[in-house]
Amino acid sequence: MAQQEWRLLLTGDMRAFDNMALDEAILRCVAAGTSPATLRFYGWNPSAVSIGYFQGIEQEADLDVCREKGVDVIRRLTGGGAVFHAHDGEITYSLAVKDDYPGIPKKVLDSYTLLCGGLIAGFRRLGLDAEFEPINDILVKGKKISGNAQTRRFGGILQHGTLLCDVNPPLMFSLLKVPNEKIRDKLIQGVAERVTSIRREVGTVDKDAVIQAMVAGFTEILDIHLSPGTASAAEWALAGRIKEERYANPTWNFKR
Amino acid sequence: MPTQPGTLSADYKAGGGKLWRVRMTVSADAPPLIQTIELTGDFFMHPEEAIEDLERLLTGVLLDETALRARVEAFFAGEVQVVGADVDDVVAALLKAA
Repeated sequence: MAQQEWRLLLTGDMRAFDNMALDEAILRCVAAGTSPATLRFYGWNPSAVSIGYFQGIEQEADLDVCREKGVDVIRRLTGGGAVFHAHDGEITYSLAVKDDYPGIPKKVLDSYTLLCGGLIAGFRRLGLDAEFEPINDILVKGKKISGNAQTRRFGGILQHGTLLCDVNPPLMFSLLKVPNEKIRDKLIQGVAERVTSIRREVGTVDKDAVIQAMVAGFTEILDIHLSPGTASAAEWALAGRIKEERYANPTWNFKR
Repeated sequence: MPTQPGTLSADYKAGGGKLWRVRMTVSADAPPLIQTIELTGDFFMHPEEAIEDLERLLTGVLLDETALRARVEAFFAGEVQVVGADVDDVVAALLKAA
């Protein structure tokens, strides 16, 4: 099979609703065939909490603390858990392909295995012995370094996820709800035991080098060629409409 | 465990590690009927909107294992992929709230 030509997008740091709206706009355009298969890397400014499609926003996020600290809170298009996207603490990626893209398994769990393989190859290029942990995590030395979530709709597949660069459990648990105050310290301690970061494993974080490693990882695993590009005018216009309909709209964010 | 009269809730960890949170209001009958139900959590379901079908299927159903299992099995038999939970998990989550 001829090597597939993909687009690489580096969109920098944006507001949570712009990030989620752009992911969805890219998915719709890729699914419709008006945009090429795309791998995107981005960040969050300000920091944000995203909750999974099925989660209750007030069950997961302490909205008062988020407001005080200027942290955005949004509901994702994808399922999975609540994530704290620290402005300085992570790199987020998203990947969009048509749902009939050659070689992508129809079973969601199998497709996580394949697509997370690109990230695992990337982590290995950084010298980290990463492994896939079903359903949707990547571990280094038994600790989570990446969480991933997928949706299939509009005729396309969108997978996005986090690459943890630095973790700050006390801050994280001030923004996320805990079942009761008595176990807050235990949860914070638990994160230190269950979660790691690129800084902890490598010693330093060079975000550009991490992205380059991931680009190489996906290139290798999916046998693709990634060319740097930009989001199209149609994608930005669509993202603007989606933002108003969903991610900047309380009806969407508070629907559960 | 009832949190107030007519309201039941439970958190249930499915075999795949995902959390299912059940909140429902039930009638005063014995066994009670589910009047409203909301399922939340960090699970995956494709297509996502199918969660509303599941909630609709469970509304008006007796809070009884046989009745619930029949509805949940019918849901899983449809065009839906639930990742990280099976019929037994969802039934167990519902019964935990009862």
